Amino acid sequence: MKIESIDYKGKKIIAITGDIDMYSSPELRNEMMGHIMKKAAALYIDLKSVTYIDSSGIATFVEGLKSMKLYGGKLQFCGIPNSILEIFRFSKLDRVFEIHSTVDDAINS
Amino acid sequence: MDEKLIGDIRLAIDEACSNVIKHAYKGDVSRKIIIKYTIRPDKFHVVIEDNGLTAMKKTLKGRDLDDIRPGGLGIHFIKRVFDVFELDEKKKKGNRLILVKYFK
Repeated sequence: MKIESIDYKGKKIIAITGDIDMYSSPELRNEMMGHIMKKAAALYIDLKSVTYIDSSGIATFVEGLKSMKLYGGKLQFCGIPNSILEIFRFSKLDRVFEIHSTVDDAINS
Repeated sequence: MDEKLIGDIRLAIDEACSNVIKHAYKGDVSRKIIIKYTIRPDKFHVVIEDNGLTAMKKTLKGRDLDDIRPGGLGIHFIKRVFDVFELDEKKKKGNRLILVKYFK
């Protein structure tokens, strides 16, 4: 897994490439929680290049969502491949996560 | 098997092994997990064995899917694809998880 934190149009994007699993999700958690500790108003998680996610990856995003809600921050997801969107739907997370087709759609929402 | 089913099975086996590492081996990744499988035209049969702490029934129950919180999803990801999910109670030390997927 590769993680890039990008500033795009004044917004903080976390772009992930590869597999999010038991071994890589702690690195993702560190990156995401680093922004959350600084009370980032919004975080945009770009998943378009993610090839796999397991329950540890899902748990990481749920933790991020709950932490941001405490101070009114927004966690948004973009470009989710269908195979991963299906996991989100099965886990009923599509009801609580804000999901957009692209980063630009999310920023303009 | 189609690509989607292969992906679902990969996730399920991954979750089962993660559960062994987390619960039976308490995070020790150096311990051995034995995976045996057979594929027949009518079914895919997998056995996952460890020699760690015997699983408590409580840890084998996922959380309510409507109770959105981190954790507790792995078992759901396994049961989502496999038709049989059974702990072999005859195994004295460790755990033997039997998973069967029937092909329709």
